[in-house]
Amino acid sequence: MDKPTQQDIYFIDFPQRVKQIQLEMSNRGLDVYLGSRLRTLSWITGAFCPWRSFIVIPAEGLPTVYTFVIDASRVAGDSWLDEDHVLGYAPMGGQDQISVISDLVKKYLKGGKGVVGVESGMGSYTPEGHLTHFEYEQFAAALPDSRLVNAHDILDMLAMIKDPGTINRFREASRIVDLGHQAVYEAIKDGGYQGMTETEISGIATYAMRKAGSEFEWTFTGGNEIASGYRTGLAGGACTPATRRPLRPGEPLMVDLHAMFMLGLGDHSHNYLLGPATDRQHWHAQNFVGLVKLCLDTYRAGISPSSLANEMLEYCEEMGFAEYMVPGFEHGIGLMGDEWRIGLNDGPFPYWTNPDHVYQPGELIICAIQYACPADSRGASPEEGIGFRYENPILIGEQGCEPLSRYPLAVEEI
Amino acid sequence: MEEKFQYLSTEWTAEAYRRLRAELTAEKMKYVTSSMVTHYKSCPDGKDRSLYYQFVDGVVHQLSVIEGAPPEAEFIISGDYEVFARISRAELGSRSALMSGKLRLQGNMVKALGLSAVVDRMNKVLASIPTLY
Repeated sequence: MDKPTQQDIYFIDFPQRVKQIQLEMSNRGLDVYLGSRLRTLSWITGAFCPWRSFIVIPAEGLPTVYTFVIDASRVAGDSWLDEDHVLGYAPMGGQDQISVISDLVKKYLKGGKGVVGVESGMGSYTPEGHLTHFEYEQFAAALPDSRLVNAHDILDMLAMIKDPGTINRFREASRIVDLGHQAVYEAIKDGGYQGMTETEISGIATYAMRKAGSEFEWTFTGGNEIASGYRTGLAGGACTPATRRPLRPGEPLMVDLHAMFMLGLGDHSHNYLLGPATDRQHWHAQNFVGLVKLCLDTYRAGISPSSLANEMLEYCEEMGFAEYMVPGFEHGIGLMGDEWRIGLNDGPFPYWTNPDHVYQPGELIICAIQYACPADSRGASPEEGIGFRYENPILIGEQGCEPLSRYPLAVEEI
Repeated sequence: MEEKFQYLSTEWTAEAYRRLRAELTAEKMKYVTSSMVTHYKSCPDGKDRSLYYQFVDGVVHQLSVIEGAPPEAEFIISGDYEVFARISRAELGSRSALMSGKLRLQGNMVKALGLSAVVDRMNKVLASIPTLY
């Protein structure tokens, strides 16, 4: 795979990232950093590491990645690190992950003694990759004269403000997602949706996005999330892996697409009413579109998730649809593996977004809005069971935000 | 009666060197340039020994036995003398020994996988040496 050069708009200075980590390691007295989270692997290697992987960062010099041996050559090919710094582990004497990694860590510790930073914690995102309890115990036993300390916040802090190469990767992933939306629209317009299922919609978008260069429908939520009918309005819900449910006239359709470009992530949702739509459905749609516009106009540096939520929910109350809102308007995003939490782990609930995190210019988040009116909220009325979702990566600026997906905002009636 | 060589003796090593060079072409050795040590713990006399291989462009350039700690090499395979002896007597496969943890490999696993066929060929030649364990 061609790797971006310094002149390339997608260039990321990975060696500089390693130096930044090493500087912070020095400040904290860490001799070695042992990373295990997917976001850490992506941020440092620039390669997708789907198998359980680790990265050993010494106080000076290049880091070494360990991944399952079946994928080590491919990761080395995709990363800026060479094949001597992307190694495989396997169930063999001396080559299992604990032995081979602790052997290397010991080489970096004077007399086998020192402090090793690890990545411990919890997450709502399954593939987060914190060190497991078993791994921790095994490494502690294999490194008896060293002390393991939690240090993931080094990387979280350094990764928070996005560099131009990263932003451009997200821009391209968003452009690809928009092509997926265009392909879905072309397929479903003029009654074309009839006979189609949610999974088919996902496939149409996937094909268009892959043709445009997407590497992965990257979420762990089933790739593209497609919901129709009552599934768009599940109570408090914002996760809808596509099912074999057929699309039906008179129902809403929510299309939430995901593309990946050089580990940059596209994530944009677009919504439809499969005609004929009722006045009540139009009312819901207008509520949603108005709220999204207001939200995008409000995002800027200096505000916080809680201040934004208060403002938005006040508007929803005034407009008479507050009961249909999932009361959150964002989730975190970064290179592959960095999803969900915004900012640092400094809020009242460990490993959740700090509601009082103050946004800074250069942060990239997903503006995420879920409008959900469940089917049973007004008895069995067919006009309810309706919901809409908005997701779009936005770049926080001093005076506003830049939505990276440019697909026109609307709830389209087909 | 066929002459038998004491395993890891000077004579056995010389015979191994001769046979490896004679029977394995550079092509069969995949033109490899590398170094490898098989480190034998607890030899019958209680000592540890290493068999050091150096390959240059697919030719066995050096084969020597070293007592004590293993020397530096690109790959180090270590285990008990008896495990290596069982492998040489074809009582145990080298892969099984590694997979069961009876042998320990140090070195780049990906490169080692690429050279496993070469090591198998070498083991086959070494197993053909009439040996006293």
